[in-house]
Amino acid sequence: MAAVRFGLMALLLWLFAGVALAQAPGEEHVKITLVAESDRPAPGSEVTLALASVPEKGWHAYWLNPGDAGLPARAEWILPKGASTGEIRYPVPERLTIAGLMNYVYEGPFAPLVTLRIPADATGAFPVRVKLNYLVCTDAICVPGKADLSTTLQIGDGSVVSSIRAQFDVWRAALPRPLGAEGIYQVDGKALRLAIPFPAAATAQGEGYFFPATHGAFDYAAPQKVARDGDRVVVETAGVKAVGPIEGLLAFGKQGFWVRAVPGAVPAAKAAPAQMPWSGALFAFLGAVLGGLILNIMPCVFPILSLKALSLAKANAEGGDPRAEALAYTAGVVLVCLALGGSLLALRAGGATLGWAFQLQDPRVILVLLLLVAGIAFNLAGLFELSAPGFVNRATARGTGGAFMTGALAAFVATPCTGPFMGAALGAALVLPWPAALAVFGGLGLGIALPFLLLGFVPAFRRLLPRPGAWMETLRRILSVPMFLTALALAWVLGRQAGVAGMTIGLAAALLATLGLWWAGLRQRRGKARAWLPAVPLLALALAATALVNAAPAGTGAVVPGAEKFSEARLAELTAQGKPVFAYFTADWCLTCKVNEKAVIETDAVARALADHKVTVLVGDWTDGDPALGRFIERHNRAGVPLYLWYKPGEAEPRVLPQILTQAMLVDLASKG
Amino acid sequence: MIHRMLVGAAIVAAGVAAAPLMAEPDVAAAVPNFRALDMHGKVVDLSAYRGRTVVLEWNNPGCPFVKKHYGSGNMQRTQAAATAQGVVWLTINSGAPGLQGHMTGAEAQKFVAAEKAKPTAYLLDPKGLVGKGYGAKTTPHLYIIDGQGRLAYKGGIDDKPTADAADIAGARNHVLAALAEMRAGKPVSVPETRPYGCSVKYAG
Repeated sequence: MAAVRFGLMALLLWLFAGVALAQAPGEEHVKITLVAESDRPAPGSEVTLALASVPEKGWHAYWLNPGDAGLPARAEWILPKGASTGEIRYPVPERLTIAGLMNYVYEGPFAPLVTLRIPADATGAFPVRVKLNYLVCTDAICVPGKADLSTTLQIGDGSVVSSIRAQFDVWRAALPRPLGAEGIYQVDGKALRLAIPFPAAATAQGEGYFFPATHGAFDYAAPQKVARDGDRVVVETAGVKAVGPIEGLLAFGKQGFWVRAVPGAVPAAKAAPAQMPWSGALFAFLGAVLGGLILNIMPCVFPILSLKALSLAKANAEGGDPRAEALAYTAGVVLVCLALGGSLLALRAGGATLGWAFQLQDPRVILVLLLLVAGIAFNLAGLFELSAPGFVNRATARGTGGAFMTGALAAFVATPCTGPFMGAALGAALVLPWPAALAVFGGLGLGIALPFLLLGFVPAFRRLLPRPGAWMETLRRILSVPMFLTALALAWVLGRQAGVAGMTIGLAAALLATLGLWWAGLRQRRGKARAWLPAVPLLALALAATALVNAAPAGTGAVVPGAEKFSEARLAELTAQGKPVFAYFTADWCLTCKVNEKAVIETDAVARALADHKVTVLVGDWTDGDPALGRFIERHNRAGVPLYLWYKPGEAEPRVLPQILTQAMLVDLASKG
Repeated sequence: MIHRMLVGAAIVAAGVAAAPLMAEPDVAAAVPNFRALDMHGKVVDLSAYRGRTVVLEWNNPGCPFVKKHYGSGNMQRTQAAATAQGVVWLTINSGAPGLQGHMTGAEAQKFVAAEKAKPTAYLLDPKGLVGKGYGAKTTPHLYIIDGQGRLAYKGGIDDKPTADAADIAGARNHVLAALAEMRAGKPVSVPETRPYGCSVKYAG
């Protein structure tokens, strides 16, 4: 044990070598180290201090609100005259329920941060001391601890060692980011509902939970239901009573947002599927079967199906095995539906917030689908033939394999069409126990396959199919129209996701693939052997285009023309050249930012005024909590976004604009340069 | 009478069945009745004290926050002052067997004698039925019930949430303040505070 502790000490010493360091003495269950980001802070500056804490295994320390029991740490700072510290900023805590009592704690290493302000007249040695009173507990016992930590900084040039900066950036990234917009909460009897502004487009990974910082409103141990509902997050749980304005931390996994909320009326989340009973699951299953059946006449599925129907009719006429084909087709459809549903459930269990047809949110998948659908459309139109004559009369095994693949394809392509019909039912399926949810997905597949099962197993239905003949060719040509329309829709989706460039790449790839198919078709018609040979490299090239398609970053779809990505170097360069600069900082999860962008910054009037007066626009995207941006934002006395800065030539400091912008304000600033 | 006791026990049992959501009486609302064994093995029935003011104190002798108030004599002084006014003081231990602070009757007698504690009775609640029926979360956690069986106060013993005995001198003793107000026929000015201390060591 002593050896381990010595090893840890040595490691810490090595990590913080050359940095202000102080070690808590005595036999403690949490090791706390006082670390300064810079041990040579400049006079009049601010330096971040960390209380780097490592609880012993099995022990936990408390968040600023400990929950049902426990205590937060208290710090008493002893500082040179004129110096002061800000509030302790805590990283996102963890939940620990012991015998029905909720504790908000840290079971692993964590580092609360504090800002220390150095007076402008400080010189020489600068001793910083803190007396900490804290509580550490296991699930069985609690021990109050005291630590007297001190370190001596040297007033200097403010330099920061890069390894220390990196460590602090990791700690900063664990802090919650202020959401900037106010939430509303309502306590109705014992039910508490909290609505938090959170843009629908913002991604949030991991389980949602609201850690109340203000005591009195929440029943901590009660389970919470956290739902995304349009541009808000709704937390439903048990409450005690309204206690005026509250603060707290909205967490999605390790990502945290600091929220303020006031009492008010909160409508329930719309998409709030209650726990569905098994009879409901059966209903959902039947609904899914029916939905799948309806999908057969959707434009993206119908042509594939019609082809299959024709091949069945052919099999009928030529004495094939329609039952085996129908079963293979059904297997293909159901398996793909189950695989899609299963992976969706798995991803959601892993914490991602996804909807049905989630695979269509990736532009690369869209591009592949576009190529596939365009290929099918051209095949239907008669540009080339898929099966060489020798193929058709091969063994039935070939037929069933082909039928399986057709089924799989139909199910995969059908997913975008399911939205309007099945969205609600499939959404409901996701809250069912997983076997029931999978049954619903399977039901959808069964519904899609149902017409074929009937055709395959009931000869009477098969006899209803018209005799094969020359009309089949005509029908095929006609069926290419809905397929082309599907391709068009996919191109549009691709454009929405990956921008004009992405759509162009997609269309170019489709052209390339089509040329290859055309070439193959020409060779087929001349009866050449290995007709596909020249098409293969072209098709491969078209598929390789997927590597070039990237999702356009959200929020940059409609920025001001000519806006550049923010960097401090670029800013310094522009201000040195005496150019006016408008720098704004935004994040996908910041509703105020998005409102300002849509209603003010991205309007024609403002964009024109900025362009006319040659104002450079720099955009800093803080969606992922980039620590370099975070430091820059902090230096302007803001803890988060939105932040709007106007750099006027000749003025050393930027003007910090209000958080609510108006068009007149920006046009006016632009005209005055 | 017996029927009422059973109803009381049933209420408490329902609270336990709904764990982790514990029942917690509101201030001014009627409190659930309970029956529990004291450290001498005698049954104590809360309803038997109807007409008198009752203080409930949750106790875990191993908890540093409890030690703060017993080690300094603050809890004993508070108990003595209350019982001298005719108030019934019930100290309750809801610690489960095997967990910190759990005591048998004999151990509890030793604790009360050693600390010179002055409760009317020391109750053993190893299954946590009483504790969960009242939503007791910390040790110490205090409740005052008025003569009509309604909750008059719930929360901490004082307003200095620390484990440091030196903080007792400057603290407001919420229990003594509430009892004084009740005796003067005045409403309790601070009827609810946030309790502080170790979590009650309930079973599983």
